[in-house]
Amino acid sequence: MSKPSPKVENPVVTHKLSIDAVSKRFPLPGGKEIEAIRDVSFGVEENEICVILGPSGCGKSTILRMVAGLVDPSSGTLLLDGHEISGPDKERGMVFQAYTSFDWLSVRGNVEYGMRINGVPTAKRHEQAQKFIDLVQLGKFAEVYPSQLSGGMKQRVAIARTLANDPSLLLMDEPFGALDAETRWHMQELLVSIAESANTTIVMVTHDIEEAIYLADKIVFLSSHPGRVHEIIVPEFKKGRRYTDKEEVIAMKGYSALERQIMKLMREQGASDDY
Amino acid sequence: MTVSNKSNNRRQWLQLRKPVSSRQSLISAIFIWVLFFAVWEGVARAGLVNSLLVPSPHAIVTTLVDMLINRDFVYDILISIWRVVLSFGIACSVAIPLGIMMGAFPAVEAVANPFVSAWRYLPAPSFIPILLMWFGTGETPKLALLVIGVIFFLITLIMDHTKQVRKELIETGLTLGGDRWTIVRTIILPSVMPNILTAMRQMLAVTWTYLVIAEIVASTTGIGAMMMRARRFLHTDEIMAGIIVIGALGLTFDILFRKLHRWLFPYLHGRES
Repeated sequence: MSKPSPKVENPVVTHKLSIDAVSKRFPLPGGKEIEAIRDVSFGVEENEICVILGPSGCGKSTILRMVAGLVDPSSGTLLLDGHEISGPDKERGMVFQAYTSFDWLSVRGNVEYGMRINGVPTAKRHEQAQKFIDLVQLGKFAEVYPSQLSGGMKQRVAIARTLANDPSLLLMDEPFGALDAETRWHMQELLVSIAESANTTIVMVTHDIEEAIYLADKIVFLSSHPGRVHEIIVPEFKKGRRYTDKEEVIAMKGYSALERQIMKLMREQGASDDY
Repeated sequence: MTVSNKSNNRRQWLQLRKPVSSRQSLISAIFIWVLFFAVWEGVARAGLVNSLLVPSPHAIVTTLVDMLINRDFVYDILISIWRVVLSFGIACSVAIPLGIMMGAFPAVEAVANPFVSAWRYLPAPSFIPILLMWFGTGETPKLALLVIGVIFFLITLIMDHTKQVRKELIETGLTLGGDRWTIVRTIILPSVMPNILTAMRQMLAVTWTYLVIAEIVASTTGIGAMMMRARRFLHTDEIMAGIIVIGALGLTFDILFRKLHRWLFPYLHGRES
């Protein structure tokens, strides 16, 4: 459990991303409001993989969308590198669960897209695109249209496209949720190696406990209705290391205890759920 | 196994939801038309119908060839095509930008849609009398009718297609640093273009319908006018030749649009590696 004190008006820039006392209410038809998020505070450090986990209805996607600038908070502040987040920006690139490939562009065209609209010179663009196409292992498919790619490959294009745009923060909203189990597991391992080689700070939302434990340096566990930070869990058993073999992590002492602990939390915190 | 499958296929012509080969669909399509004309020809030759009212297909083709070579029917065809292309071009040049703007920006939709959707319920031919009063008997009233007949449907179709561009694509563009005009230009436009071309193909068929109405009611030139002239002299073969030409033109334009679709959007038509 670690919560920054709510008294701090302007928190000192100790985190790369600081979310401070953020709440979100959505209007309902009939003039009422529903509170999706209440007083959420946590920080994300440079090069950290932070996973937001929680039962359905805990507003985890809403938090991520606020970090992306796609949704404004009703109250509270979000700071990235000390600057307040307002509106979407290329410094916070987002990968969605739904496939977002631009079907009219080749894989290379997709990966170059962000750099193209931001006016990166052609030579630099080609070089950067090639680097990230190779990083997500799509070298052989660079000239292919997305409609000919599998779901996992489409998500790799989306990751490469976002990273090639050189964001300060990579946001991922259940990026592997639509993939089959085997592809998902490969993608998780790939993400670990990408995070290592590209020094990326990642904030990811998932409801998959196994995925959270394997990927996360830090798990922000939310309770639901409204979403609040229930607990911040650091998978201590990984001893601050990352592993590109998932089975290695699963076999580690401490893995199953943590998984059990989180499953229990899920059950308790999701129990009040309507469904 | 394969052998028995094959003979099975041959025996069973009706297979639930089993796609037919392209060869079979071509043969089937030719078959039904050959059958249609054969029955017609047979009925006409056997004298079962009044040949003045129902000429045989053979007689119609003979008349059509004669009209194309010896009379000025080519001129009528060209002027009809010109009317359709020009009015449809005018309609598209307004409908495409406006429809995209309405689909992309709800504020534009809020202004334009109440106006546009009301016009869709006003039948275009009801404007003919007033168009004739305003513009006389030149080309303008015909072109105006054709434009009025399709433009509002076209705007609505394009707006709806634009609205269906997935939210995630737009949000991806936003988090990659695109401003709203960049997103309209580089995401919304390329996403919706294939559907716009399909909408254009469908509405072009409607333009042909209004063309015939315009030419029958208020014209001395064009395919429709020729058909009205022929009616006065009981030339049923010429009327039917006109119908055939309109059908053939409509089909040709449809095929051209399909080809254009394949050519412009190869990524939607399978592999071309």
